[in-house]
Amino acid sequence: MPAQPTRPDDAGAVRFLAQASFGATTADIAQLKDIGLEAWLDQQFGMSRSATGTHLDYVLSQFPLPIPDGTTVTMDPAYHTFWRQVMLAPDQLRQRVAFALSQITVVSAADANLQASPHTIASFLDLLADNAFGNYRDILQAVSTHPAMGQYLTSLANRGDNGRTPDENYAREVMQLFSIGLFELNMDGTQKIVNGAPVETYGMDDIRGLAKVFTGWSWGNQGTADPTNGRFAGNPADPMRRVIPMQFYRQYHSPDAKVFLTANIAAGTDGVQAFNTALDTLFNHPNVAPFIGRELIQRLVTSNPSPQYVERVANAFASGRFTSANGYYTVGTGQRGDMKATVAAVLLDSEARSASNATQDDWGKLREPVLRIAALMRAFEATSQSPGQQFRIGNIDNQMFQTPMRSPTVFNFYRPGYVPPNTTIATKSLVAPEFQIANEVSVATYANTLQNWIPNGFGSTATGQSGPDIRIAATQARAIATDAAKLVDHVNLMLTANTMSTTTRDAIRTVVESVSATANNAAANRVNLALFMTMTSPDFLVQK
Amino acid sequence: MTSKASRREFIRAASALSLAGSATPWAINLAGIGAAAAQTVPSDYKALVCIFMYGGNDHSNTIIPVDAAGYQQYAQSRGNLALAQNTLLPLNAPTNASLSGRQVAMRAEMGQSFDATQMSLKALYDAGNLAVLSNVGTLRVPTTMAQYRARSVPLPPQLFSHDDQQTNWQASPTAREGTRVGWGGLIGDLFAASNQFQNFTCMSASGGTVFLSGRTTVQMQIGNNGAVQVNALNNQTLFGGRNVGNTVRAIMTSDRTQTLEKDYNAINKRAADSAQALNTALASVALTTTFPNSGLGSQLRSVARVIAARTALSSRRQVFHVSIGGFDQHSGLVNGHGPLWATISQAMGAFYAATVEMGIADKVTTFTASDFGRTLNSNGDGSDHGWGAHHIAVGGAVKGGDVYGAFPTVALGGPEDVGRGNLLPAQAVVQYAATLAAWFGVPASSLSTVIPGVESFSADLGFMNAS
Repeated sequence: MPAQPTRPDDAGAVRFLAQASFGATTADIAQLKDIGLEAWLDQQFGMSRSATGTHLDYVLSQFPLPIPDGTTVTMDPAYHTFWRQVMLAPDQLRQRVAFALSQITVVSAADANLQASPHTIASFLDLLADNAFGNYRDILQAVSTHPAMGQYLTSLANRGDNGRTPDENYAREVMQLFSIGLFELNMDGTQKIVNGAPVETYGMDDIRGLAKVFTGWSWGNQGTADPTNGRFAGNPADPMRRVIPMQFYRQYHSPDAKVFLTANIAAGTDGVQAFNTALDTLFNHPNVAPFIGRELIQRLVTSNPSPQYVERVANAFASGRFTSANGYYTVGTGQRGDMKATVAAVLLDSEARSASNATQDDWGKLREPVLRIAALMRAFEATSQSPGQQFRIGNIDNQMFQTPMRSPTVFNFYRPGYVPPNTTIATKSLVAPEFQIANEVSVATYANTLQNWIPNGFGSTATGQSGPDIRIAATQARAIATDAAKLVDHVNLMLTANTMSTTTRDAIRTVVESVSATANNAAANRVNLALFMTMTSPDFLVQK
Repeated sequence: MTSKASRREFIRAASALSLAGSATPWAINLAGIGAAAAQTVPSDYKALVCIFMYGGNDHSNTIIPVDAAGYQQYAQSRGNLALAQNTLLPLNAPTNASLSGRQVAMRAEMGQSFDATQMSLKALYDAGNLAVLSNVGTLRVPTTMAQYRARSVPLPPQLFSHDDQQTNWQASPTAREGTRVGWGGLIGDLFAASNQFQNFTCMSASGGTVFLSGRTTVQMQIGNNGAVQVNALNNQTLFGGRNVGNTVRAIMTSDRTQTLEKDYNAINKRAADSAQALNTALASVALTTTFPNSGLGSQLRSVARVIAARTALSSRRQVFHVSIGGFDQHSGLVNGHGPLWATISQAMGAFYAATVEMGIADKVTTFTASDFGRTLNSNGDGSDHGWGAHHIAVGGAVKGGDVYGAFPTVALGGPEDVGRGNLLPAQAVVQYAATLAAWFGVPASSLSTVIPGVESFSADLGFMNAS
């Protein structure tokens, strides 16, 4: 029998969409069941960004550049455009992968140098979205030359001329966090062990060698390149300089030889060539495939993938091609670092798709707060009443303890290897990154926030409007609310892919039924109860 | 020590362990009981407060040579990062022989207090309540420059890497990211039974940290207003539904078989079990000391309020963690470093004033920690990751008004320079920790249990009065 496309049932579709999008909608489920996962992926891979515009387009619509005198710029539009695209963008997979990448190659709106520029944050998120289905080498290039990164990790205006000691910041973190990591890895993501110990990938000398490469880069300008001393130092300032790539200023580049890892760049080599050689060297390091592959699995699917799963994804990254287990589906250019092949390998892997895995005790990941709210908004028809549907969710650190593009440090909201102390996770030698932001204060605040947000809405009020911008319409759920069992089944499907325990389901149904179906606001109250109790349940909080 | 006290304490510790028993390997249980059984319930109250400066403090612009020759070397080595000599606040260091003929100073912002009734760090030093710890860093064994160069002794893993060195400071000199037990938590294991609410033994006002994780002790997070209660747990009627609170409590706190679900609900359960008791006690706290509105000020205010509730909560030994970020100043150091120390000086001064108000200034010791020190030379407009660094300890039990440890030559190519002026530490983090732990009441026989690696060093740096 020839291989067939994978057509999921309802629960299978919701489960896939929790991994591959910001959450299921009824329409998404129907489409996935109709065309199957492979055709859906192809459609997503082929989708342009034009439908909803870029993040920068949106920020510019709120704050044009150059910024008119007297305008107070806030970061809000950069946050709003994230949520707008969560809700409105049809290219969900691209948006979700961009969000995952934003937690690997991290810049943060909390940084003192970036907090006044929603443009630079939006532009950086755009570069991740633009390249999400491209090649990781291009991501490294774009990230390393973006002025948001240049400012965040201080490679912008870094000097190596006249025997100066270059800033080591970017050289260190691009290796530790964005490409190869601290220890040599096998293709399955496990550490290589030599003489009983892991092998460090680089040392201080490698950092100092690579730091010399990242010298001579500073603000770009529109039109003809203008690598003058004044421009390097920031004067004159091009109005678009925070959203266009940095440019190279030969006079500030270190003329020294640059020796690091396997690279030995001769003294006097052109700085742009040295830069490209350096990124090629990092990109071609064997660690990149398992290092980036494993992090993408953790962001999309599960905290503790098997070594075999990591290896299959790493092989797709390295070969630039993915073929599904049944041979039905092939994708990728055949170039190392191909993101379509890598993403398809993450999502179509037998381990990700196995329904029986969803019932394994150690499978899955704690849903991060951003994804919890996104799932609620998409499944229960959140509406934004502001003009142009602004989805005005701003800095929600005090409510959710996570704001997109606002990590506390370059080490992200949580580390991929985080082990929550004194837990069963630790006893079993597992990791659980998202637990790094789960503590007595954040879990209780989350529940209290939901109790407010679900019935009352959330998001800041636009000028001329009243009340919270965003409301959970829950039209479909309210229409079936007179039947408590049906309502709870619907919530169970949409938020947990039917993985809710019988105990939880029965408990919620009993409370929902305690609201008389004929009471005032019965439908709204019943839906609010079902959503609140589901979203505070561990059944929902752990994505399986 | 009375046999009655140690027996009661043993029973408490044993029952605490049995709660954790299902998820804890037998060997760890045994170790926990062994350690706990060695302790008695102390009659007094003591607290240790760790102020973690995330990112790596630029120690070279914190404590600065100010004598003519020393300043000249400093200024030459730092280049455009050097602070002006006439802005510095000179310190007397009566007993530090390594400073013979030299003098050091604090940077100007360490002279700032939040209000006129409170002390700055400089004033605390002058009053004898602040000690400067010179060149403290992560070491596995005493290490000379020759041994470092030859790599003939073991060194801590991943020197100069943020998260690994944070872990190394907070746990042990062999620890790296992913380590699960820190020395504050291990001290907590010893003393949890001294507190009526064992959940309040190790408390963080600034997020999870390995520092406060023990083998059995679980850190509790507090916010700026104490604990956060889940409102719904106490609302039986919500959205028109009945029996909501009981149902939500069952869903959020019941034990689960799925591993991640189980551990998430365990956090919910700790929050539900502890929040009400803590907030009830905090509601009766009458503390008049005012705190600056900074993040660190708010955290220290929260810690002070918990300490103020110590009698109501029957707490006798507590370890706290607060933090301030922004120290990774590869860029913007000249303008950015001073404000951080102004914040610290104001917040620590206010916190000290609160301990005076409570009459327990000699029972509370506050100390700084950070990822690492930073390079002495400039990378243009900042400094890069380093190793040894200066720190401060504050409290009525601190033998203050002095500088402890061999103060380094602040010059590129100096005898302690391992590259770019980074310092080979002269005092180990484990010695710093052990000095604090001994004051707190950890018996000498248990020091190497709570501070692994300390057995390679002499354990007391001498900056604390006898407990």
